[in-house]
Amino acid sequence: MDLSNIALAYRKPMAFVKKSFISATSYKLSFVMELFSIVLSVATFFFMSKLFGAAFIPYLKPYGGDYFSFVLIGVAFFDYLGIAQGSMASTIRGGQLMGTLEALLVTQTEIPTIVISSSLYSFIWTSIRVFAYLVVGSLVFNMNIQSANYGGAILILILTIVAFSSIGIISASFIMVLKRGDPFSWVFGSLSLLVGGLYYPISVLPPWLQKISYLLPITYALEGMRLALLKGYSIAQLSNNILALLVFAAIMLPISILCFKYAVKKAKIDGTLTQY
Amino acid sequence: MFGLLGPNGAGKTTLIKILCTLMLPNEGTALVNGYDIFQHDKQIRRSIGYVVNEERSFYWRLTGRQNLDFYAVLNNLTPTQAKKRINLVLEITGLSPHADKMFKDYSTGMRQRLAIARGLLAEPDILFMDEPTRSLDPTLAQQLRDFIQQDIIKRHGKTVFFSTHNMTEAQMCQRIAILHQGKIQTCGTIQHVRGLTPKKRYLLKLHQNGFDYHKIILSLPFVEKINVLKPEAGSPYLPLEIYINEQQGNMWQLIEKLVCAGGRVEACHPQELSLGELFSQLTS
Repeated sequence: MDLSNIALAYRKPMAFVKKSFISATSYKLSFVMELFSIVLSVATFFFMSKLFGAAFIPYLKPYGGDYFSFVLIGVAFFDYLGIAQGSMASTIRGGQLMGTLEALLVTQTEIPTIVISSSLYSFIWTSIRVFAYLVVGSLVFNMNIQSANYGGAILILILTIVAFSSIGIISASFIMVLKRGDPFSWVFGSLSLLVGGLYYPISVLPPWLQKISYLLPITYALEGMRLALLKGYSIAQLSNNILALLVFAAIMLPISILCFKYAVKKAKIDGTLTQY
Repeated sequence: MFGLLGPNGAGKTTLIKILCTLMLPNEGTALVNGYDIFQHDKQIRRSIGYVVNEERSFYWRLTGRQNLDFYAVLNNLTPTQAKKRINLVLEITGLSPHADKMFKDYSTGMRQRLAIARGLLAEPDILFMDEPTRSLDPTLAQQLRDFIQQDIIKRHGKTVFFSTHNMTEAQMCQRIAILHQGKIQTCGTIQHVRGLTPKKRYLLKLHQNGFDYHKIILSLPFVEKINVLKPEAGSPYLPLEIYINEQQGNMWQLIEKLVCAGGRVEACHPQELSLGELFSQLTS
């Protein structure tokens, strides 16, 4: 790959980010409200944690025992699941509804680049939100992340995004063909919320539900992230979570790419690629 | 300039989408600029511009220039090339003074012009346009037609492939294809298409001497229709417009029949069928 191709590979995603940023900031009130909602969310979880007071919760022992820290990290990183899972599908759906998809598809840019680049702004915005959650949480509400292993947390985050994106690509494939109603994403999202350990550790679940939770990447992502940030676990100590996310990505990513190729071909033959 | 004509639902948009790689045919294939739509879709997208007749295909909260800048990157233009091309296409389409207005504040005509500007961004060999004047008022439509003919084709030497059911636009084309129910009925120059139809129109001038022309003419099986035109003031001649099917008979047979019956034929002139009439005939 020569330098011009590398520059182009970088410029295309950046063009999508720039376009989305200009659009988002043109709605000034909405943009300010989104920023403000971060503080409100953090405060909400802080007051929820007050409910538990200083009472020792044995279920939270592996994560340091503080419910506020536990739930804040859960909520912050659950956003990634939502974005990775939903943003590619919503890009296609939005493009179909707005009429921009057709114009994008006749450019000299491949469909995967269009779909992945379109979700980049959402990832950046979510990262800013997560960062703000952690900063506000630690500075204002005394969340303890002083011993955090940030390198481990970033590795878990990257693997989480890759693993969850495969779900997003499958979801986008459904949307491309079905237009509305993506059963895969619905089942996956609902299960992740129920048994993924977002608001409570999975140890509170009955054993049969715990078994289901081990099949979902969110379980490993949230646990790995909490252990890295709240307990400062090393990469070696996080190896189980890392391995689980790697296996999930290695299996799901090729499947998702095959699904997507099939969906694009089917939509092109049916003539429904840009219909909504 | 190539015109794709057809009534609503004939498959014009579908055909254009197939040629622009947005759809795949169930069977058969097509070549665009020498490239196969199944095997060389990337090369095709490099050689075409597609003017989407859909004003929603732009980002409304971005300016015209920002929209073009975004599409320039997706069409692999470097920043220097993009800047140069954007200024050029804005100038060609007369949008330079409005380039920094938000797209939402553009008029319908300006939006259509921006769509053409976008189609021209990557210097395509072929520009596909799907009913580009559909949503424009007659004045704007005429301006756009002049612009396509004078600027895009004559000045910039592009091949324009556009679909329409407007006969004025079809007359501008070097070649046309008439599509009906998903099948090409005919393809060629307008003269070629005219030659394909057996239906011919003649202007016949007959002496008005109380003779019952109608009965005799309509008794001939190859006569499809007669229109009695208004005679010139003080003229003794009755002008008739007669449509005949030359696969079944010809004008000389008709004249012979009239003369034998005692009629007096003053003049007979063949007339070209309008493109609209040809179109109706080929798609009826």
